[in-house]
Amino acid sequence: MSLGRSLRQTVIATRMLLKESTRELGLLLGFTVLFPIGILFFLNVQVPAAERVQVLVGTIMMEMSLLNVNALAQSMGQDKERKIFDLWVSLPVSPVVYTVSTAMSFLPFSLASAFVTLAVADMGFGVALPLVLMPELIAGLLLVWLSTLGIGFLIGAYGRTPRQINTYAQLVGILLTFFAPVFYPVSILPPVLQGVAYLWPLTWGSVFLVGILHGDGLTVLRAGAVLAGFVLLWFVLIARGVRWRQV
Amino acid sequence: MTVGPRERGTDAGVGGADPDPVLEVAGLTKIYRGRTGNKVANDAIDLTVRAGEIVALLGPNGAGKTTLLRQVAGQLLPSGGRVLVSGVDMVRHPLRAKEFLSVIPQECEPKRDLTVDEHVRYFALLKDGGANIDTEVDRLLGETGLSEHRHLLVRELSGGLRRRVLIAIALAGARTRLLLLDEPTTGVDPEARRSVWRLIDRLRSRRIAILLTTHYIDEAEYLADRVVVINGGRRVAEGTVEEIRRRLPYRGRLEVRGIDHLTPAARELLRSLERKYRVAARFGNVERLEIPDPFLESVVTDLAELTRCGALATLSPVSLEDAYLSMVGSEEGELPA
Repeated sequence: MSLGRSLRQTVIATRMLLKESTRELGLLLGFTVLFPIGILFFLNVQVPAAERVQVLVGTIMMEMSLLNVNALAQSMGQDKERKIFDLWVSLPVSPVVYTVSTAMSFLPFSLASAFVTLAVADMGFGVALPLVLMPELIAGLLLVWLSTLGIGFLIGAYGRTPRQINTYAQLVGILLTFFAPVFYPVSILPPVLQGVAYLWPLTWGSVFLVGILHGDGLTVLRAGAVLAGFVLLWFVLIARGVRWRQV
Repeated sequence: MTVGPRERGTDAGVGGADPDPVLEVAGLTKIYRGRTGNKVANDAIDLTVRAGEIVALLGPNGAGKTTLLRQVAGQLLPSGGRVLVSGVDMVRHPLRAKEFLSVIPQECEPKRDLTVDEHVRYFALLKDGGANIDTEVDRLLGETGLSEHRHLLVRELSGGLRRRVLIAIALAGARTRLLLLDEPTTGVDPEARRSVWRLIDRLRSRRIAILLTTHYIDEAEYLADRVVVINGGRRVAEGTVEEIRRRLPYRGRLEVRGIDHLTPAARELLRSLERKYRVAARFGNVERLEIPDPFLESVVTDLAELTRCGALATLSPVSLEDAYLSMVGSEEGELPA
């Protein structure tokens, strides 16, 4: 199947799924606005000013990665329960089209949430965010989002029922929260756990975003390359249809 | 339009079907491997469906009907055998093969927060890319009787209308040549069932090959040009409804109701008939006798005599259900010789 057709199908499927998402607009907007304010306020109560960038990055990582992993996996769970997943599998559509379009139907809300977080951090918590950083930051947010896409897909693909998928998603969420340090620097972990932490794209995403906010070009390049590697890995796995067709 | 049982021929090209097969299944095998051992869900099944033909897969729960359909649809990898859709191998080239087929999975629910129009429009765009999409959507909604409901959300529709939305989605795509329907009327009321039947019946004119699974014998009788009976993962019979009926060693059945309350004369007569014919079944207050061909004329006299003695008795030709039950009910899963 040609790349052009796949891209066209991704746009069509995203428009369809966005329409569906926007019919739950109140819920999603509530999440978009309330989540960043709540978590930033909570986490900043006892955090020294020097470490607020890390807390800001942690919050953004939650919005761009963890919640998207959950949303993608649970969407697949719902599609499986309603058997519409079987209908998708029988369409002349690549699993990449399905995965990316499903994830993209939540992306505008994640991005909006991340921008509210950045604005709140800038205005309320003294984290300086010059406008010149914005293009790099937006590209960075998208890379971080793409680099964790495969985790949601694998959970959704391997879980048979929504309940199972929900459980897997929560387990992976807990693992990622503890073993991929996003709210604190990886350097404070014991050496063994640092090795484990670097296996997760979220750790690299966190390092990457801190690098952007601190203007550390070398770190941005290094972490960006690793994240790009994760994106490639996920796309290869998804395109090969891991668990798309059941065995 | 009325829905009536299909007129059936005896040769392979029934129902005006094309000789070229749209679906060819050869030696299809599916083995589920589990901790407690392997389960053979499909055992070397062969099957062909031609353009314009409706083939029904009949079988009890767990017989392997849905497994077969899911392998044909590319949802499940076969353990062995071959599936060709319009000549394209489903295992080797799934995306190419899927260009030619549409599926309505069992108990599939459309997306509750999309309208009827949005469903048909976006799925048609996904399949074909959207030249004249408005015309295509109008045609599909008209064909499935959904035009007046086009702006309603799916959650506002009845079960029957939701089933129609799925059929409209399945019909989208100019290249669709094979339609796979997994229990298309399960869970809908009798009126909606008949309206879905009428819709499926009309698809013959589009020369689409249809393979459907069903538990309902009457559904197969009304719709199918050919019936394939599956039991224990194996194909145990295939043919037109008439051919399958003819495989039973008797042609008619005499059913006597209220056997616990017969008059002495009727009871005596029934005992003599039990010696003359074979008792096929006795359930509750009903007894069913098999009437072999040589007795088809004389049994009319027996029926009149039973009625005269006050018994409630009916004489009817054997049905597909009789043949089906004799196949799936027998220990070997085979028709009686």
